[in-house]
Amino acid sequence: MKTTVLSTILLAALVTSCGGDPKPTNDAGPGLVIGGDGTEATVASIYQMPTPNELFNLVRDLAGEGQKRMLNPAGNVDRYVSLQGRAFNFGVYSTDLVFASYFKMNVEVARYYLTCKKLADGLGIASAFSDADFVRLEANLTRGDSLELISNDAYTKAYTKLQDEKMGPVLSLVLAGGWVESMHLLFRQIDGAGNNPNLMARVGEQKVTLEHLLDMMEPQAGDADVANTMMELTAIRDIYDQVNVKRVAHQGASTSGRMVLGDDVQMELTSEKYQALVDAVEDLRTRMTAPEDKSNS
Amino acid sequence: MNQIINSLLASAALLASGSAIGQYKCADYHRFNGDPSGDKRFSMNGQSKSAMVQVGKETELNIIIYRGQDYRISISHDEKILGEQLAIRLVEKIRVPHDETIEVITQEAVLDEQGNATGTTQEVKTKRKERLFNDEEKVLWDNTEHDMADEVEFSCTATKRIAVEVIAPGNSDAKPKKSGETNDIGCVGILIEHMPTPVLGFEPQ
Repeated sequence: MKTTVLSTILLAALVTSCGGDPKPTNDAGPGLVIGGDGTEATVASIYQMPTPNELFNLVRDLAGEGQKRMLNPAGNVDRYVSLQGRAFNFGVYSTDLVFASYFKMNVEVARYYLTCKKLADGLGIASAFSDADFVRLEANLTRGDSLELISNDAYTKAYTKLQDEKMGPVLSLVLAGGWVESMHLLFRQIDGAGNNPNLMARVGEQKVTLEHLLDMMEPQAGDADVANTMMELTAIRDIYDQVNVKRVAHQGASTSGRMVLGDDVQMELTSEKYQALVDAVEDLRTRMTAPEDKSNS
Repeated sequence: MNQIINSLLASAALLASGSAIGQYKCADYHRFNGDPSGDKRFSMNGQSKSAMVQVGKETELNIIIYRGQDYRISISHDEKILGEQLAIRLVEKIRVPHDETIEVITQEAVLDEQGNATGTTQEVKTKRKERLFNDEEKVLWDNTEHDMADEVEFSCTATKRIAVEVIAPGNSDAKPKKSGETNDIGCVGILIEHMPTPVLGFEPQ
């Protein structure tokens, strides 16, 4: 009893010592001014990439069915040896997983979940793909909405884990793989659905996500793998930079009645520039998803 | 004695876990302290984020917003440290092209009347146009012009890169640390919600 009382007193003393008397600070708070002179150097910047489901959700109604052949073959998963290969292809496979769930490719959802889990083990983020979640996924294979939630949840967990563990270079490569695969899947959907102008417009808009990705990767540019991948992505951005962009003030209110934020933007993506983008992205994807044991032999 | 040591170890573990919970709370601050929309059509966006923010230091969350979506961005924060109201801006980041004339200096061989190299070189200045890009920022919304509102709803008609910028004034009544230092770092949660832009009214026939 005495021991318990003693330890309680000690604990109380310890907790109290962490506080101290409340003393009002004399420091006056700064003015509420953002973007004043000289602030640029001291801004703390955080970047978030949209998860692939946002794009797939927007194009799902415009596109035809998802096809297994569009995805990176799951059988290649054991053939990525280098950290760069595993990280980039984790981004590719996890995007394929989300895509499969959005296009109701139920068998592929299970297959790509296990594929991602295998690569996640190698990257030290296995906890994002738990056995319990796989059991939940199997139980929901006939429920499309649940599959979307579970696959997106797994993607988000992996993304958060990479952020929390401060695995910046790996995260950069994963996101690069995800961006390239999203573009590849969009191109394949356009192949299937014909030159749907709405889908083509989505390709044009990916310029913005690529610029965002490159900015996000910049702090990791000291890593050789990241620098190499950035160089490849910058070459794709150079193609986008040749596309004319028109910015015009939005006329009228939004159909929802909410205010419209900023200008309308029109990308004048010609078929020539579209083809140049397809060639550049597919060339990068082909090289990056090639099994490394094969290329190294 | 062993019991005392065990109790102290247990107490220390309790305090350590309290600290861990504190960190956990900041990572998920927007989930637990955010004020989600009552409109059930909104769903949480994966780019939502919480972060530790220092008083007086501008912090920005860079995100992508997609054409054809309505968004709601709401911000919650630790008022005890950061003060009652935050200044918040939504800023678009744009790569703007501009053509620049660049002077290039090259060394060229000097030729004689017969077109043969004389063995000497001369500087030749040429000009060529090159397209360069500047990163520019455009303020789209500023809460200091909207009664310091901590939430905003809008429609997005073009896919954009935006930064949610916040700066905290601090709380002059904040409790200082035992060392006497002012506790000037608190948690800010940025909750982003989205939905496909709905069409209100009757569809045209």
